Amino acid sequence: MSDRWSVAVDTRLCVRTGLCAASAPERFELDERGQGRARSATLPASEDVLEVAESCPIEAIAITDADTGERVFPPELPQAAPR
Amino acid sequence: MTTADTLSWDPYDPALARDPYPLYARLREEAPLYYNDQHDFYAVSRHADVQRGLADWQTFSSARGDILEIVQADIQLPPGTLIFEDPPVHDIHRRLLAKLFTPRRLAALEPRVRAFCRRALEPVTGADRFDLVEAVGAELPMRVIGMLLGIPEADQPAIRDRTDETLNTVDGGKINEEDILSTDAFRDYIEWRKKHPSDDLMTELMTAEFEDEKGVRRTLTDEEVLTYCSVVAGAGNETTGRLIGWFGALMARYPQARRELAADLSLVPNAIEEVLRFEPTGPFTARHVTKDVELYGRTVPAGSAILFIQAAANRDPRRFDDPDRFDIHRVTQHLSFGVGAHYCLGAALARLEGRVAAEEILQRFPGWDVDWEHAELAQTSTVRGWKTLPLVVEGARG
Repeated sequence: MSDRWSVAVDTRLCVRTGLCAASAPERFELDERGQGRARSATLPASEDVLEVAESCPIEAIAITDADTGERVFPPELPQAAPR
Repeated sequence: MTTADTLSWDPYDPALARDPYPLYARLREEAPLYYNDQHDFYAVSRHADVQRGLADWQTFSSARGDILEIVQADIQLPPGTLIFEDPPVHDIHRRLLAKLFTPRRLAALEPRVRAFCRRALEPVTGADRFDLVEAVGAELPMRVIGMLLGIPEADQPAIRDRTDETLNTVDGGKINEEDILSTDAFRDYIEWRKKHPSDDLMTELMTAEFEDEKGVRRTLTDEEVLTYCSVVAGAGNETTGRLIGWFGALMARYPQARRELAADLSLVPNAIEEVLRFEPTGPFTARHVTKDVELYGRTVPAGSAILFIQAAANRDPRRFDDPDRFDIHRVTQHLSFGVGAHYCLGAALARLEGRVAAEEILQRFPGWDVDWEHAELAQTSTVRGWKTLPLVVEGARG
């Protein structure tokens, strides 16, 4: 586990809430279409960045470990069975 | 003769509740920028225009609310009424709730949502007919929100009735602007909850520290907590209940889709998206225009009220192939939860409730029709959906 994360916003999902840029303006910004993006290729691994990803209402923000490529968020979860 | 000049859309006309779509199609094609001089508002209906406009809070402000008559009334609203705010203040307030409404936190509620849903369906299991709205639509969202807020179960119906009453209008009526500001329903709880903290939303809101718009680090005042609770309860009850009603109605109308879903429940999440696209419970959203805007060769002057008709945008043939076809396999990006800063905070919760209700209903009742003659469709100035939806069950599994 390194201390840098790659943070990608899925532009097919992003509905332009602007929450990421409003919550952590030093880490996220909005592009010309109003969609969120990370300000740099990698961001420091931190609770703040994780919280931004978790708070996105459509979970459009994916975090992977910059060195290992391991998925940080969203965590892989087994699909809950209805019964 | 039908020309753009004679085209008229009155959002308060109760006759339009049943099938507004032919008129929406005409607005989209003949009057992509529509002006109604009777009620003095503009409206756009094409997908691209609705999407662009709702995301542009600088031009189309929420500071006066999102309901036409409230926008036009220009009333003072207390801070924390998220729906009635623009960034950056809106974002400060929304972030507080966003942390409590993450899709993951909400997903963790699934077993409890399912338990509520099963309990609601128990009394009607084995019945050959029942009102889906009464049994589940009016029951489940109330229980879920009551649980989130930490309201004792016995008091939940009273709270729901109170918040629904506020947003309820007789067909064609307008909302009372004083009612919408009322936070009385929760006032009794806040004092009690202070002495009995729990893991509920109200406790978290009372204790969450944040930096306000003046840069002061603090917790929310009682008034602000009450406002938040009222916003959450007002926004999440009737809308989600109507979603469940639309599911029941559409499944009766499209039995082939229902059979497919019953045979493979993994199709349900996508089907819920299609229900949301096809029959959005909130058909349109109002904004206040902050500066002159050019649209389709006309100027929409600053100070105007404008409606963004999501129900029309969701059926724009420029965006969706064969848009009037209900297709549970369609990959849809509907506008029913809005777009931009005010994208529905409770979207993940509505999706969860819709999916769980659908799964439970499909598993209990292999087939049903609707007694359309006794079904009642209601259109208020915020929500459209079934007030009564009597299902006639085809041989219940018991």
